[in-house]
Amino acid sequence: MFISPAARKALFAPQNRYAVACRLSQQAFSTVGTGRVANALISRGILTLDVDGPLAISTPHASTSRSSNAFSTAAAIKDSLPTSKATASTHGDEMPSKPFISAPERKYKFFQNVEITPTGVAIIRFDNPDKKVNTLSFALMHEAKSMWQNEIHSNTNVKSVVFTSAKESGFIAGADIFDISSIDDKSTLVPIIEEALQFFLHMKSKNVPMVAAIHGPALGGGLEWALWCDYRICTDSSSTKLGLPEVKLGLLPGFGGTQNLPALVGIQGGMDMMLTGKDIRPVKAKKMGLVDLVVAPQSLESVAISTAEGLANGSIKKSKPKTKSLLNRFIEDTPPGQYLMWDKVKKMVDKNTDGNYPAPYAIIDCVKYGLAHPNGLDKYKHERERFAKLAATKESEALIGIFDGMNQMKKHSSSAEPIPVKRVAVMGAGLMGAGIAQVTAEKGYEVLLKDRDDASLGRGLSLMNENWQKKVTRQSMTKYQYNLNTARVTPLSDQTESWKRHFGGADLVIEAVFENLELKRNIIQLVESVTPDHCVFATNTSAIPIADIAAPGEQVKRPENIVGMHYFSPVPSMPLLEIIPHAGTSEEALATAFAVGNKQGKTCVVVKDVPGFYVNRCLGPVLVETCALVKEGVPLEKLDKAMKKFGMPVGPITLIDEVGVDVASKVASFLSKADLGVRMNGGDISLMSNMVEKGWLGKKSKKGFFTYTGKKDKAIGSEMVSYLKEFTGGAVSNMSEEDIQNRIASRLVNEAAKCLEDGIIENPVDGDIGLVFGIGFAPFKGGPFRYMDSVGVTAFVDRMNGFANNLGEQFEPCQLLKDYAASGKKFHG
Amino acid sequence: MILPRLLNYGPSASGGLVVARATASFVGGSPTRQHLPLSSSSFSTTTQTSNPTKNVVVVDGVRLPFAMTSTIYEDQMAVDLQRLAYQGLITKTALDKKDVDYILAGNVIQEVRTSNIAREAAINAGFPASIGAHTVAMACISSSVAITSAVEKILAGKASTVIAGGVETFSDVPIRLTRPIRQKLITMPKAMKKGGPLGAVRHLFKGLKTKDISLETPAIANYTTGEVMGVSSDRLSAKFGVSRGEQDEFTVRSHTLAGKAHKDGWYDGEIIPYKGSTEENGIKADSTIESVSKLKPAFVKPHGTHTAANSSFLTDGASASLIMSEERALELGFKPMAYIRDWSFKACDPFEELLLGPTYCTQEILARNNLNLGSDIGVFEIHEAFAGQLLSNLVAMNSQAFADKNFGGKKVGEVDMSKLNTKGGSLALGHPFGATGSRLVTTASRRLQAEGQRFAIGAACADGGLGHAFLLERYSN
Repeated sequence: MFISPAARKALFAPQNRYAVACRLSQQAFSTVGTGRVANALISRGILTLDVDGPLAISTPHASTSRSSNAFSTAAAIKDSLPTSKATASTHGDEMPSKPFISAPERKYKFFQNVEITPTGVAIIRFDNPDKKVNTLSFALMHEAKSMWQNEIHSNTNVKSVVFTSAKESGFIAGADIFDISSIDDKSTLVPIIEEALQFFLHMKSKNVPMVAAIHGPALGGGLEWALWCDYRICTDSSSTKLGLPEVKLGLLPGFGGTQNLPALVGIQGGMDMMLTGKDIRPVKAKKMGLVDLVVAPQSLESVAISTAEGLANGSIKKSKPKTKSLLNRFIEDTPPGQYLMWDKVKKMVDKNTDGNYPAPYAIIDCVKYGLAHPNGLDKYKHERERFAKLAATKESEALIGIFDGMNQMKKHSSSAEPIPVKRVAVMGAGLMGAGIAQVTAEKGYEVLLKDRDDASLGRGLSLMNENWQKKVTRQSMTKYQYNLNTARVTPLSDQTESWKRHFGGADLVIEAVFENLELKRNIIQLVESVTPDHCVFATNTSAIPIADIAAPGEQVKRPENIVGMHYFSPVPSMPLLEIIPHAGTSEEALATAFAVGNKQGKTCVVVKDVPGFYVNRCLGPVLVETCALVKEGVPLEKLDKAMKKFGMPVGPITLIDEVGVDVASKVASFLSKADLGVRMNGGDISLMSNMVEKGWLGKKSKKGFFTYTGKKDKAIGSEMVSYLKEFTGGAVSNMSEEDIQNRIASRLVNEAAKCLEDGIIENPVDGDIGLVFGIGFAPFKGGPFRYMDSVGVTAFVDRMNGFANNLGEQFEPCQLLKDYAASGKKFHG
Repeated sequence: MILPRLLNYGPSASGGLVVARATASFVGGSPTRQHLPLSSSSFSTTTQTSNPTKNVVVVDGVRLPFAMTSTIYEDQMAVDLQRLAYQGLITKTALDKKDVDYILAGNVIQEVRTSNIAREAAINAGFPASIGAHTVAMACISSSVAITSAVEKILAGKASTVIAGGVETFSDVPIRLTRPIRQKLITMPKAMKKGGPLGAVRHLFKGLKTKDISLETPAIANYTTGEVMGVSSDRLSAKFGVSRGEQDEFTVRSHTLAGKAHKDGWYDGEIIPYKGSTEENGIKADSTIESVSKLKPAFVKPHGTHTAANSSFLTDGASASLIMSEERALELGFKPMAYIRDWSFKACDPFEELLLGPTYCTQEILARNNLNLGSDIGVFEIHEAFAGQLLSNLVAMNSQAFADKNFGGKKVGEVDMSKLNTKGGSLALGHPFGATGSRLVTTASRRLQAEGQRFAIGAACADGGLGHAFLLERYSN
């Protein structure tokens, strides 16, 4: 038994198998904020030395959506929902039950009964009947061990072994993170992993060829299992993907992955996979030597069996390692080359993580250790020790927390079923509208994109088409999928006489027009007159109260169908969606907005109808505090640097420039007038409004706080210097980075806590995910509430009180924080 | 010699081309009953035997902006243009894709990867995969065949909703290696097997002449006669006495009318925007007789009359029409534009009268339906391959001598210029071979509705001596 009783209990208790289809969108992690967390979290493009380009994704079978191929399925799947009923039926699909023929009793929980062919091929099929996908758990390893011992190891008839999955859904989608989370003392992971490793070595010691036959995802521990085999065959299906995404959870591949993968595909290819956690598609996998053969799904098993036979009788030889180019031989196999390579790798990781994520460094260390100690089992020992250390880090806990939270948020506890939505109309083809239309069409909805005239529509369509075209160029989308996506979008202008007829079939209308109450209400009136009664109307406002928009009257006859859907720009890459019901919103409308948002690949958080909703509301005090710090004379670069070090994807100054000084200024002044009271005090937001008057609107106008010259070049211009001098009155501050971080974080986190106190968000999980996905709050800190837990609420409140005494009541911690500090409670577990 | 007599009826004999020879004989008035065995209840022709009570209607039609080759569609494949036209038709009509029974396309210069371009365009436009689709080729009247095939399908009871389109791009024509090299390449694997790489190389160069190292580009010429269209049309114009001046005048007319129609927004809705624009860049609304008369002959040098201006230019574009049974159209709540009453495909001698088909076909339709060209037909949409070709047909239609020789003495009639191509024609709009037929039907139908006329005749010539004409009747909504 290498599984703790508590873990086992948890594992088998049905209520704990909450779950996942766990399509954690890559975007979620890779493009949080303005797209920088990606780099913070995973070091993409880390290896550019290989001229053959281990980075190039080249697979014609690439799936349409990045979100489905990405972080997805994960290293860690806590599976879920499968009620026993559902399981029975899926199971039944694969193996039609024959009531009158007695089937041999199933011997294992995680495997089908072992089949041994007359030619001596043992076929072992992973099959967890409780889950939609197979995952690698301690319990499975334990069972595998006894199965191997009883049926295979001493059975001289077995000349070769094929590992495959009985599930259509894939090979093995990863190791079960629940196993890891449930263990308090992470150091006990070392003997557990050691036992698993012993099992792999034990299998190898039988000395018969082992073939992994892979269809669908083989990720994390699943791929590591395959790496222990002698031969890997995968299908050319678009669902087949191989990867080691552990780094995304702050972990490393612990079942020998850091050793076996580089040995198979080379150091550069291996590092690229492990440091970015990306998926490898079949064609690429074959090219880089990760698999030996790619076959059609229909012939996977028969080819695997005959390959196993061939390997056993010698008619088929194990594939030789890929011959490396001269350049790669230099880089990977000579000391100076390796030196250059590691130097480059380290620099890339430094750049992309700001040193905030320990996992990439641990992975590098394990691979280096393996190169230095190629023989013996020490390298595996080193690997599992590093794994256990990582598992104990706050960063890993935070990342797993986010992953978990996302899965929890896949479902909304609504009392109603969403209405079935086939056709979604988007009003307004600007940047926002086009973005919404894009993510909607990508997921198979029919989209009606409406704007005033052909020219506006044309611009909107171009935005979408260019985004899709990029995917086609990157080969993550086929031309056919591109065509289908474009075909799903029907552009309609006021001149298109048929637009009303089109709208007659709309189930959901999302408006993304100017922020003007009257305009929005007129649109509702127009839409209500042409859409069916069941049609839900979602308004994408960031400032106007939904209740005002939906106030019943001449223009609004069906207020119960109106709900707020607040997207973040740019829509295709921002993973969060705020859903805001007003008091009269029906449960159906809410559930529908949630379901559509989810399908669009967004993580949806339901928030209360208050000014700024949740994310912008929290951002308000940050903007004010930024102004305060600038006024005190903190240099802009220092501000940015401090907050980047804190873990934000960009500093507040750059953030304002990127969203637009005008937008930020509007948000700040809007919230100053709203119900936040003293919490919006303390800063002079005319810093921004003055700039708007000067026409310094940020990156879009090439000039904001920074002046943008090239694509990446930015600098503080002389005009800005003199403006700042004027604004600060010549004040110069050399405040410490820590003080800057604490002051901004205090305002942000306190506001988040206040939102929880006021019921604007339902729980700390929503609050954490909302800020991580909405503004890129340091993912390795896990969100504001997890951050408070790790700092300690008491310490946090003390710090705020200190600021309040010196700087003013805007730093007064909210009541909820005071209560938590008094009672010593934590927000998470 | 037939020519002098013909000339009596030709435009040059009547002192130049009179553009606005408006006749008040048929403006909105309903033709007399005896000319009209065509009301929907009693209509019957030789072509409609399967189900005489069934009416087929043009519900709607669209086209992508026609554009000069190698301009806005430079990077697109023909299949993409057709796909966009199909989508545009769906956008315009709000027809549910599921309700389509069959899809057709006309196309001339074939891209081998999309030889059945209708099918590829349909599935890439997101139509259900279960809908059948095929492609037809009949030179410049390919999409006319697509439309009449649609009508036949509906009349035969095999479909009730058919999309018929057409597409052409000259921005990417197949340019081939010469035949000897192609032969060598095709037999190369065999040589390789036998003699290895060295043998293959030897095979490739054995007997190859220097002149073989070249490329074959498609030419707009007839296969049988070897004659280029322009040359044939130039001869035809000479035969019917159509002068350079008349051709230039007609060319300017076409550009002027097309420019006006665009400016007035007449094509709004009919042209679906490409990247937000409905501009058709071949139209030179400001062209004048002076400017076009400066050009040198393009085909027959030096005395020919056909120039780059008074010949239609190489055009990329696509179109699509929605053809339905009347019953189904009404059931789905559509307001049809016109009935498709009759059509004709006749052919003539490609050596002598390559482009004179419209005359023969128009004659057949009028005779079969007992209609009078002058008094019954209120709308003409005739394809302008060359100004000389169109004018030659007009001369032939109104020539007693020609009628004596071919139609037993009954002239086709004189086409009233005020009813002909009043929104511009192929000379100005352009002529993507596969797409023009659908444009003619759409424009004619829309003109019937707009002008309140009852009957429209459309006609076009095509390579091979083929001709086409169709008869539409306005649908009263």
